[in-house]
Amino acid sequence: MRKTSDEKLKLGLFVIIGLLLFTVAIYLIGERQNLFGKNDLISVKFSNINGLKKGNNVRYSGINVGTVESISMLNDSIIKVDLLIEKTMITHIKKDAIATIGTDGLVGNMLVNIIPGKGKETSVKAGDFIKSYTKIGADEMLNTLNVTNENAALLTVDLLKITNSINQKKGTLGMLINDSITSNDIKKIIINLQKTSYNASKTMDALTTKIESINLNESVAGILVNDKAQAQKVKNIIANLERSSQNINTTLDSINKTIQQIKNGKGAVNYLSTDEEFAKNLDQTIKNLNEGTYKFNQSMDALKHNFLLRGYFKKLAKEQEKVEKERLKK
Amino acid sequence: MVQSSQLALNIKNFFIEIGELAYFSSRFFRELFSKPFEFKELLRQCYNMGNKSLGLVLITGFIIGLVLTIQTRPTLEQFGAESWMPSMVSISIVREIGPIITALICAGRIGSGIGAELGSMRVTEQIDAMEVSGTNPFKYLVVTRVLATTLMIPILVFFGDTMALYGSFLVENLNGDVSFFLYFDKVFHAIEYSDLLPATIKTFFFGYAIGLVGCYKGYYCEKGTVGVGIAANSAVVYTSMLLFIIDFIAVFITDIFI
Amino acid sequence: MLEEISNITPKFNSEIKTILEIKNLKKSFGNNQVLNGFNLELNEGENLVIMGKSGSGKSVMIKCLIGLIEPDSGSIRVMGQEITTLNQTQFDKLRSEIGFLFQGSALYDSMTVRENLEFPLRHHKERFEKNLDTTAFVEEALTNVGLLHAIDLMPSELSGGMKRRIALARTLILKPKIILYDEPTSGLDPITSKEIIQLMKNIQKQYKTSSLIITHDVDCARVIANRMILLIDGINYVEGNYDTLKNSSDEKVKAFFK
Repeated sequence: MRKTSDEKLKLGLFVIIGLLLFTVAIYLIGERQNLFGKNDLISVKFSNINGLKKGNNVRYSGINVGTVESISMLNDSIIKVDLLIEKTMITHIKKDAIATIGTDGLVGNMLVNIIPGKGKETSVKAGDFIKSYTKIGADEMLNTLNVTNENAALLTVDLLKITNSINQKKGTLGMLINDSITSNDIKKIIINLQKTSYNASKTMDALTTKIESINLNESVAGILVNDKAQAQKVKNIIANLERSSQNINTTLDSINKTIQQIKNGKGAVNYLSTDEEFAKNLDQTIKNLNEGTYKFNQSMDALKHNFLLRGYFKKLAKEQEKVEKERLKK
Repeated sequence: MVQSSQLALNIKNFFIEIGELAYFSSRFFRELFSKPFEFKELLRQCYNMGNKSLGLVLITGFIIGLVLTIQTRPTLEQFGAESWMPSMVSISIVREIGPIITALICAGRIGSGIGAELGSMRVTEQIDAMEVSGTNPFKYLVVTRVLATTLMIPILVFFGDTMALYGSFLVENLNGDVSFFLYFDKVFHAIEYSDLLPATIKTFFFGYAIGLVGCYKGYYCEKGTVGVGIAANSAVVYTSMLLFIIDFIAVFITDIFI
Repeated sequence: MLEEISNITPKFNSEIKTILEIKNLKKSFGNNQVLNGFNLELNEGENLVIMGKSGSGKSVMIKCLIGLIEPDSGSIRVMGQEITTLNQTQFDKLRSEIGFLFQGSALYDSMTVRENLEFPLRHHKERFEKNLDTTAFVEEALTNVGLLHAIDLMPSELSGGMKRRIALARTLILKPKIILYDEPTSGLDPITSKEIIQLMKNIQKQYKTSSLIITHDVDCARVIANRMILLIDGINYVEGNYDTLKNSSDEKVKAFFK
């Protein structure tokens, strides 16, 4: 009899500890999905949720504050995402906060990031909608900007080379033009130039659109400014753009000079003018280039006016002033 | 010709066995819900199966967690994804490895035990003696045992899972200085109800299969000591096979619904 | 010693009452017709010995009696009740009036002697008062077989003869009106056999039971039998007391007494 009650005790311990382990597991999982405790529901509308799932985390300034409660389609393009936010955290989220969808690390789960607004608005309440921003667009934009940049840089380097050689070696010009092979090569170069400049103007177009889209949503700029890595990226792009545009300007100057010289020239002019197609091509190229640079400048303007980059340009201007002042001092 | 007829006979026997097992199973449920209920014997069996298998399950679980982590770590290190170790190991342990390893261990320990015990009780007429003394042996022996395994295996799996996670934590801790709380925070971040609950439901079926096949083989044991050996042996073999089939079905169903 | 025992004969009531009756019992396994119209009558207070070769169906007959094997046809009446028409509860109740001593003792290996003896009681408590002190019953039964000191031993610690006596005690604990002995002396040495037979006789005297004894042991039959039936070819081939059968001229009967 003694033995059996001992057995019962042990069995009881075994079962209780086993069930306790299970309950702890259930609780810990539930806690991380905010199934317990007091929560409020707020909603966000997205156009693309990029594989977000029910139960994914919600972060506010990098702190886990809740989970995704449900995802539903409102119509063919808008997805409503309900977020379950801990009651203690919800007061910190203001009405102008912006929700974006991101990933936890390189290969992690999808999550909803809530980025604080300016803090002037009142706190959100249960059932409120907050603004969303599809961050994927921003990534895309930055990528396009980079590509454009690289293209522009390459193009301008080529142009510079050619025009420089034309400018510096005046004597060789006639020789070059007389040499049919070389002239053919030049033709090819010019055709390529034409193509490139056309592409450049196209990418510039795209760039402008992108940048305009940044302007459309001023608050989004806040995201980018707050995000250090992104900001650095943008800074680099802008530096490159600046450089490229300077290059393009120099190139255009020298091309203009060259054309002028050719126009004013004697033997070469005849040759060039007789070759109508060549001249036309050259003209078109220059036109494209001009257009490209115009659009480029426009983009730059847009960038300058952009809230996000205003600070950067101001800083740039200040530095320039400084340099100017130093020069004046000297 | 002889071989083909032998094959046909084997196939026929296989289906007969399945049919008998199904009948045995239905009898279990019939007897389960009719009075009287052998509660004391159930407790005894629970103790025998639960407590006495605990050590084995803990050791196995610990080693499995240890080994799994040691083996997986280099691969993840190559991707620089060591920080994913807890989530990866915990999901594989909770979803699959914990339940199936524990169940297989228990099939070996409990399944064969039941097969041999009931087999020898059948052979030495103890089952008949029980029947004669007014106790329904099916109720007393089979219902309690099947119920005990059905209830105990899930609990053993909890222990096994916990121990495996702890083993995995130890390796992580030694290799990467991951603290206990960080490790288990990551673990419980990775596991979702859709991992834990289907795996737990599955273990009830595992337990049921272990008890049922063990009892079936033992209860209908053939005469003689050879019969007892066959009962114990085939109980383990059939149970292990059945465990994998159940596991497959469970994963299949889980996949459809979650 | 043996002579002494044989002198102890039960007192018959003036009116002989049939307590157990088998009519035209048939049972076959596959093509093997084991019982082919067996008849038997057991009177109150009588020791009836049934002899037969092994495989002649003695055990089958006795198991039909107790409901372990279902007969193909025939009638079995125990204390006026036709057992095939009873439901499980009624049959269990009736069975508590019948003790059965198994060939291999069939003690429950996993229980102590005390638990073994308590086992039949737990299901027939309704026969006794509610808060039955089982210890008194157990001790009484054990004292009757002279093994009170073995009360907390496990069956594996007992010798063959002790096991048989414990089994007898277990049979007696319900104070049955009929005791069925299946080979009570099989597997025992001659001296132990005699002790068991002595015990059987004592018990009979003490509890005034009717006994049906199946054996192929002629010595046993000689000592204990009031009446004998030889089971040959599935029927009650010949009936009579020990002396008449021993002096029979029938070849088949003679073979038993060589």
